Amino acid sequence: MAMTNKELHGTEEHEHEPVRIRGLPFFPHFLLREVVVMCLVAGSLILLASVYPAGLLKPADPFDTPSPIYPEWYFLYVFGFLKFWTYNIGPIEAKIIGVTVPMVLWYGLLILVPFIDRNPSTDIRKRKIAVVLGIIALLGILYFTYYSIVYH
Amino acid sequence: MTLSKTIYKWLDDRFKLRELLPPIVKHPAPEYAVSNPLYCLGGTAFLCFLILATTGIFLAMYYKPTPAEAYKSVERIMLEVPMGSLIRSVHHWAANTMIAAVMLHMIRVYFMGAYKRPRELNWVVGVFLFLTTTTFGFSGYLLPWDQLAYWATKIGTGIAGSIPVMGQYISLILIGGNDLGAETLTRFYAIHVLILPAAIITLLLLHFLMVRIQGISGRL
Ligand code: HEM
Repeated sequence: MAMTNKELHGTEEHEHEPVRIRGLPFFPHFLLREVVVMCLVAGSLILLASVYPAGLLKPADPFDTPSPIYPEWYFLYVFGFLKFWTYNIGPIEAKIIGVTVPMVLWYGLLILVPFIDRNPSTDIRKRKIAVVLGIIALLGILYFTYYSIVYH
Repeated sequence: MTLSKTIYKWLDDRFKLRELLPPIVKHPAPEYAVSNPLYCLGGTAFLCFLILATTGIFLAMYYKPTPAEAYKSVERIMLEVPMGSLIRSVHHWAANTMIAAVMLHMIRVYFMGAYKRPRELNWVVGVFLFLTTTTFGFSGYLLPWDQLAYWATKIGTGIAGSIPVMGQYISLILIGGNDLGAETLTRFYAIHVLILPAAIITLLLLHFLMVRIQGISGRL
């Protein structure tokens, strides 16, 4: 039902002016659609949990280092970069760079994104630099994640 | 008069619902946001958070944050507690899904340029939300106190500890001593169930308030 409503509204096109008024009322149409999405997500989580339950290895033993040790998948790129970067820059040790770049500099850069990118356009065709940099960053993260697994 | 109308009227008499509700309930969701599934990612992350909070409360009823008991209590949740294995596994999967959803949400905001004026600060709040979410993952990873938990945290705190200047303080705060032990486990537990939830709720309030005040950005 929410869908038909959307179709009805979707027929008029005003591309380049603010369109805050048109659209579905939050209640009940928008909420209904949200509830459907929520049911799908919750259902998938329960399915995943039943098919692949959370694991539990042997109890922690400070005197027995297992191998390999993997962190959570979203930290792999940090490990990958640390392994990858073996070059000292002047007096700065390679290891310092290896931890500072993916943790401190990377997050600092992320926070500054809206202040670095002063281009007011939201049209993706007029944001070539931002788009290219974004794709490079994504590929970099993927590459270092891959690196951390392969050169473990 | 039906029951629901009676209740509505009773509340309306006291709280002026008639004036309060329409702006919330009738507030239109713009159609480009309704028709494009990329806009679901933030909501998906939020749903995952709600599921995590609920399943987390149940886990906290059985989990014991000491080196002697932690592993056994998790084993008990998995083997003996009714539905325990399901609750813990849903917590596990919701955590991973939340991180993925937050990352994809961030990617959509980036490539749509939705962080531009006037939404700069909401992006900044977003980055802190991202940090909070991954720290949730990091602190939760240690709690089962199994081999993977222990050694991954050992390496993780080691890396955080070698950040120049801040590192030594970070590792002192996290580890609470020279080596991973009872102090570390209770700290990670406090971070995971007290500090981070308080932080994320505050950040989410700010985040949603700003989305509400500024509206969702339009156009690709
Ligand atoms: C716990 C994590 C997060 C939750 C639950 C969340 C939730 C949401 C929701 C529900 C919206 C409305 C639009 C949509 O869903 O796409 C939104 C918008 C927004 N989010 Fe997030 N978010 C989170 C993290 C982030 C992160 C990591 C960033 C970026 C660094 C971010 C930046 C933004 C911005 C700039 C908007 C406004 C976008 C627009 O107007 O189109 N959020 N967020």
